[in-house]
Amino acid sequence: MNFTNIDLDQLFGMSDDTNPLMMLIWILPIFLFVFYGQRIQLFVTSGEIKKGIKKLDGFREESRNELIDYIKKNLEPKYDPIKKIDRFLDYFTIMPVDMDPNGIVDKVRHTVRSREDYTREHVKSLSPEISDLDLSKVQTLLEIASSLQMIYKIINHMFLTAKKQNNYPLILPLQMILPFIMEQAEAMKEAIPAFKAGQPVGDGIGPMVVGKMMLNVDKETVAFQTVLAKTEFENRKLFLLKAEGPNSTVGRPGDALETIVSNNKLDAIIMIDAALKMEGEDSASIAQGFGAAIGGIGTERFQIEAIATNNHIQVFSIVIKQSIKEAIALMTKEIADQADDARSQVYEMIRENTNEGQSVLVIGVGNTVGVPQ
Amino acid sequence: MFSKKKIITAYTIEKCKKCEMLRKRKFIQGDVLFAESSKCTSCDGMTSIEKIFGETIEQ
Repeated sequence: MNFTNIDLDQLFGMSDDTNPLMMLIWILPIFLFVFYGQRIQLFVTSGEIKKGIKKLDGFREESRNELIDYIKKNLEPKYDPIKKIDRFLDYFTIMPVDMDPNGIVDKVRHTVRSREDYTREHVKSLSPEISDLDLSKVQTLLEIASSLQMIYKIINHMFLTAKKQNNYPLILPLQMILPFIMEQAEAMKEAIPAFKAGQPVGDGIGPMVVGKMMLNVDKETVAFQTVLAKTEFENRKLFLLKAEGPNSTVGRPGDALETIVSNNKLDAIIMIDAALKMEGEDSASIAQGFGAAIGGIGTERFQIEAIATNNHIQVFSIVIKQSIKEAIALMTKEIADQADDARSQVYEMIRENTNEGQSVLVIGVGNTVGVPQ
Repeated sequence: MFSKKKIITAYTIEKCKKCEMLRKRKFIQGDVLFAESSKCTSCDGMTSIEKIFGETIEQ
């Protein structure tokens, strides 16, 4: 059979405009896409989203099992903790009404802290002899597991609603945000082994820098889970502040600053923290800037900014760039290698921005798991 | 389907306070930064933990 002399015009009936069969073949898809285009797109997109949701369900289940496994192995609870943990995982927080924003920060702080206190007390009730280190680890693992549970529920709800209504535009925002959600969920899942083992995470670079500066200096608890050390550097009074390690906590630097300022006159605050890098930026690169470098829900930053403004204290910051995955998973070598450089930049910043006889507060911001002082 | 499996191994870097020699070993449960770790292998000084980090190996 000779395949070289095929006439395309003849094959597709292009030379003959009156071929009704070929007209139907060309026109039918147009009608199909006009009337059913959105449904076809919904069908194709659904497949991708379903895969994502299946992954999220796996992460949720894995984090729950890891938490139960950790509690059973390390805390030896008096009774089966599964029922209680499942109840914790479904706990929700209703944020205060913001129609009148006056005083909203205090309300948010109160709500968040109430939740933390409640969780801490109830984890303690599982095993009254639990150490502070284990308690902080379980609290963090509980936060991860409940966040993954919440993400799964919200994404699944959005997907099922769009499917139920056969509404393609409703599924579009979900398709757009899913890659970002998956990145965060994967980062949380990968953070579990580090927190279980009590290893430093990328976010712990700030406490790592300040923790080393605190070695061989007397320390005192200045706020809940927050420690302060006083020392001297080139005739300047140095206040060093970080969360109390090696527990998995970020401490309460806002409350600590309030106490320090009530008894001392500060001339500058230097904050060292991990910051999310932009796409294209090198991981573990160091940058300097102005303003309070502290993440979280915003209440701590608000408190620090308010105190600094009222007392005319300049706030400088040094950040170590990293991805979301690097920030909450086991610290990478590149980030750990930057600790010495960041510390020398702190001293340089003190020399450049303060005079002899002045006082400086250096805050190591971040989760201090695996990083004592 | 074709992506390689990533395994993260945790390492601890010990630094001798006396001779400042660095030694890399696998992370052991209970290791925390700045803690006194072991005797230095090249002098009689004590080592402390300088760094703890993870290295990713693709399989």
